[in-house]
Formats: sequence, structure tokens, C-alpha cells
Amino acid sequence: MKAFDAEILLIEDNQDDLDLTLHALKRENLANNILIARDGEEALDFFFCRGNYAERNFDAPPRLVLLDLKLPKVNGIEVLQQVKSDPRTKSIPVVVLTSSKEELDLVRSYNLGANSYIQKPVNFTEFRQTVKHLGLYWLVVNQPAPQGACEPAGQEP
Amino acid sequence: MKNQNMSPAEVLLVDDNPADLDLARDLLIANEHPRQVSAVTDGEDAVAFLRREGRFTSAQRPDLIILDLNLPRKNGWQVLEEVKADPKLRSTPVVIFSTSEAPRDIGNCYRLGANSYVRKPGNLQDFMAVIQSIGQFWFQNACFPRREEQ
Amino acid sequence: MQTKLLQTVLDSLGDGLIVVDMAGRLLIWNAAVENLIGAAPTALALNQWPEALGLYEPVECKTYPAEQLPMARALRGESCECEILVRTPLTAKSIWIEVTAHPLKDQNANVVGAVTAVRNITQRKISEQEIQRLHDELESRVRQRTAELEAANKELESFTYSVAHDLRAPLRHIVGFAQILEEDFRPKLEPEAQQYLTRIQQGTRRMGLLVDELLNLAKVGRQPLNLQLVNLAPIAERVIAELAPSHEGREVECKLGELSWANCDANLVKQVFQHLISNAIKYTRLRQHAVIEIGKTEVGGQMCIFVRDNGVGFNMKYVGKLFGVFQRLHRNEDFEGTGIGLATVQRIIQKHRGRVWAEGEMDRGATFYFTLKGLEQEPGAQESK
Repeated sequence: MKAFDAEILLIEDNQDDLDLTLHALKRENLANNILIARDGEEALDFFFCRGNYAERNFDAPPRLVLLDLKLPKVNGIEVLQQVKSDPRTKSIPVVVLTSSKEELDLVRSYNLGANSYIQKPVNFTEFRQTVKHLGLYWLVVNQPAPQGACEPAGQEP
Repeated sequence: MKNQNMSPAEVLLVDDNPADLDLARDLLIANEHPRQVSAVTDGEDAVAFLRREGRFTSAQRPDLIILDLNLPRKNGWQVLEEVKADPKLRSTPVVIFSTSEAPRDIGNCYRLGANSYVRKPGNLQDFMAVIQSIGQFWFQNACFPRREEQ
Repeated sequence: MQTKLLQTVLDSLGDGLIVVDMAGRLLIWNAAVENLIGAAPTALALNQWPEALGLYEPVECKTYPAEQLPMARALRGESCECEILVRTPLTAKSIWIEVTAHPLKDQNANVVGAVTAVRNITQRKISEQEIQRLHDELESRVRQRTAELEAANKELESFTYSVAHDLRAPLRHIVGFAQILEEDFRPKLEPEAQQYLTRIQQGTRRMGLLVDELLNLAKVGRQPLNLQLVNLAPIAERVIAELAPSHEGREVECKLGELSWANCDANLVKQVFQHLISNAIKYTRLRQHAVIEIGKTEVGGQMCIFVRDNGVGFNMKYVGKLFGVFQRLHRNEDFEGTGIGLATVQRIIQKHRGRVWAEGEMDRGATFYFTLKGLEQEPGAQESK
């Protein structure tokens, strides 16, 4: 496995949120193979195998992406829009994990193709529960798209 | 503390196998996840239900759709395609729940905008566990866009 | 044919008087007529009057239709009264007159002419119009103030919303790290430090509640109303059932009386019941046997819904503070609360253009009342539909 092949990509800029999420992931034994992007630009570089991630390959997508909406440089909605409109990245499960439950954010995220939307609960026990369910559902229950589906459009039936 | 104003979710199950449908519905309700589980058994009814047409004019718009692929009259891919092309329905998450493991089937679902793909297990124990997990993730954790009450 | 005495009497009248024969020729008139319209129309046929005398229909200011003149109608056997705007070239000023006309009949009840009384109502009309103008002005000022108030309210609500919303993130961090400290490091902490940690956690719990309720209060204000004809009883019933776990182990009797239907937003009215009934449950905590009554009653000729309890009640001196945000009448150690619940109730009822108020007595319980549109109908009146 190459260094860039992560099971979970966590896109989060806030250090406090990052520490708490990692703590919860560790607790659920989900933090072994995790990659962190600290802003939208870095996340897009990862998705599209550019910049620091030029060595990465489209064939090895993460099984789950956790995306915060409030991000520096390129915000979460924009990341979502780019990832979900490109056939090479469209099938990667992206779950919005954010503080806000603004109706506008919710509708825009789902409309752009977010696979799900989660508001981080204030209660930490609940948050850990959420992380556990997230991991179980997206890493075990959900069937990822086959590798072929990550290749450029035009080759599909 | 859970948000007391979060109203319980509504879900639409689309499956042509009456036994699967019943089992899934009972499991979802028993776990007290959604408020209401509606069920239809073919693709055309599914679309009519979602658009509140025909005998479904008073149907509640669901928060989540759990959709089988092999359906009479209109198959799951067609339903999925219509849902994701309709601006009024597009934001409703769709979980594909099918026995198919064919990469081509799964790939097509994601390409058409499915939010998730869950393989329907053969044995009962696994079937129950999977439904449980769908319920847990979607109804205890996920947020849905507000549906217009009527 | 007029005798001098009769003419003197007629001329002394303030109101004008005209008597015409069947052909519309003037038989009798008095000086007031000449004052009002410049001259008595002795030489004119009736159908020439509107043009020649400048008679107009008062609302649209069109020339008065000759066949509709009161005299003409009286000659056709009809009694009538109407208002006419007069702007005669002879006096070159506008006046409003009120004209009353009756047919004149002989012994055999045949119409032989018409009697018409003419009164100058200009002063009255001007006063009326002045009142109307003031009224309109007042209304537009009220409308403007209301709009300003609503805008200010909206702004305050969206401010509240964004503040409460932004507080969630740092609060979440404090809660999370405090819990990690508690779970992973508790054994290493001195007992006093453990105490402080517990206090931090209590504080954050309370703040979480506050933030959630503030967000909800702001949301209530921002959401558009979804008005429907709603049966209130099942809503109250559901709320009672949902709140049952909160008084487990206590003796709480909930009496749900007859409610009715109302034109309201079902989700919001459910919240009203939630707040009022959970308040009742909370403030009866010290009662051996708590009784909570929910029903419909008439107060001051208006139907309203009430929620009554036999709890600790409150001093009516402070009733004005009851519905204010963060206002509390009890110490937090006695009864926990955020002071936002009743403010939310009031906001919801205000949004429905209804009224909410309370009555209470120290140690003898409290009753909350609210009105909604459509409560007046008989219960069940809509069910037959």
C-alpha cells in the first residue's frame, strides 16, 4: 500500500475539531489508515492527484471522505462541487461533517451529491457514537464503487 | 442531549419482494428509528409516490429512499435517474438495497447519483444486521433537508 | 299662486325647497335654492338641469344623469335621497348637497308632481373627508411602524441565530476535551480538581441547552407559518405521552379535557404544548399528587386553551416578567431552566396573532392560557367535513 492510499480522508482545518475527531476515531479503531487535509485546496490536490499528491493514483480512492464545510482557501461546498462533477471522483463517498445545520447548507450539499450530511453533536459521547456508526456504515456496510468506475467517463455501458 | 425538535424521519421502501419489504419495515419500526415507513412494490409506484401523483396525492415526501434495483414496470436505475434529475426530489438521499454484487450494477448506481449502495445479504441474521446499521446511521446521525409538512 | 305669507315662511327655511309639476316646471321654490345653486332653474327643462346647473355624481364627478335626478325619480312615483356635487357656473364654487325627493299625489293617489328638499352638506362632507384622511394617515403610519418593528425583530432573530450557532463549535470543543480529561485522566487528578471538572461539565451542559433553545427561538421567528386546520387534542395527547418518561416515579395525573380545532401551524403549536406541559411537570415536582389539566375555556368572551397545574405557582407581581427571554422566577437550584421556553411560547402565539397570558398564586399552582384563530368553532364541527 502506498503512503497516499488512505481508508479515510478527513478534511478539517480546525485543530480542536481535528483532535476530537481523531480521538473518537482512535477509540473506535478507525484511525489506522487516515489522511488529513487541512484546507479545501489540499483536499482537491488529493482528489485530483495534483501537487503533493501527484504520485497518487485515481484507482485507489478512500472508502470514506469526511468533509467540513467551513474551510480556508476553497470551502467545502466548492470541494464537493468539483469532486462530484468529475466522473473520476464522483463515486467516492463524501459525508459532510460540520457544525452547522443550516437548511441552505443541507440542501446545497445533497444537491451537489454529498452522500450524507452529519451535524457534529455537542455532546462528546454522542459524537463518538456518531463516529462509530459512520465507520461501521461506510467502511463495512456500504459497497464502494468498483475501481473501473473511477476511470474517465465514456467507457461505461 | 438530542435536539428535541428533530422530528422523526419518514422513509420510503421500494422492493418487489413482499417478504423482504415486510421484514425491513418491521425492523426499522421496531428500532424506533423512523416515524413512518411507507412501502411500494414497483418502480412506477415509487415515482408516483414521490411526485404525489395518482393514488399517492396525500403521500408524505420521505426523508430517505431505500430502493431495490430489480423492480417491475420501472427498474431501480430508472427510478434513481428520475429522482436525481428532478430538482424537487434530488436532495432526497437514496440508498440502493440490492442483492446484486456486479461491479457494473454498483458503478451505474453511483454514476446516477445514488447516495449509498448496500448489498442485500442472503441470510436472515446478516439481513437484520444490515437493516439495523442502515437505520442507525441514517436515522440517528444523518440530517435531512426539511420536508414541507402538509 | 304663492301667497306672500307662505313665501316668507319658505324663504326663512335654511334648506332649499322645490316643487315641480309633471312637466318638470317649477311651481314653488324658496330663497335657499337660489343661495345654493345661484338661481332657481325656472326656464330649464329637467333634463337640462345637470349640464346647466353643474350637477355631478359625487364619487366619480361625472355629470349627473338627468333621469336619475331625485325629482325625475319622484315624478316616476319613487321616494329617494341622494348626494350631489354642485359646481355651478353661477356661483363658481363647489358644494355638496343632499337631496330628498317625494312624489306629490292628488286625492286619487295619482302623481301630479314632486317635492324636493335640498340641504347643504358641504361642511359635513369636509369633516368626513378630514377624518378619513387622518385615519388613512394613521393607518399608514401604523403599517410603517409595524414593518420597521418586524424588520428589527428579524434582524435581532438572525443575530441571535448566528451567535448561538457560532457558539456551538467552541462549546463542542470544551465539552469534548473535558470528557477526555475525565475519562483518560481522572485517576491522576486531585479530588478538588475532579470537583472542578464536574463543575465545568455541568456548566457546559447548561450552555448546550441554552444554545439549542436560543437557536430554536430564533428559528421559530424566522420560519414561515404553515397554517392548517388542526385538531389540537391528538397533539396534546402525543406531547403528554412523549413527556411521560420525564416524570417517571412520580404521581402525575394529566387530565386532557375537550380541546378543539384551530387554524395554526401544527409543528409550532406542538412546541407550545411541549413547553407548557413540561413546565407544569417541572413546577409540580414537590407535590405528592401532581395534577395537570389541559382544556378549553372562555375568558372575557374569547375561547382559549389552558394548561393548569397545582405546582408551586408564582407571585402575580412578577407576571410581566414571565415571558421575557432569560427571565426566571425561580432559582436555578430549585428548578432548572433556561428562561427561553416561555419566550418561545409567546413568540409562537404572537406569530399566530393570538394572545398568551398566565395566572398564578404562590404555592397554589399556575394556569397558562392562549388563543388561536378558529378556536370558536364547536369541537367536532369540522370533523363531519
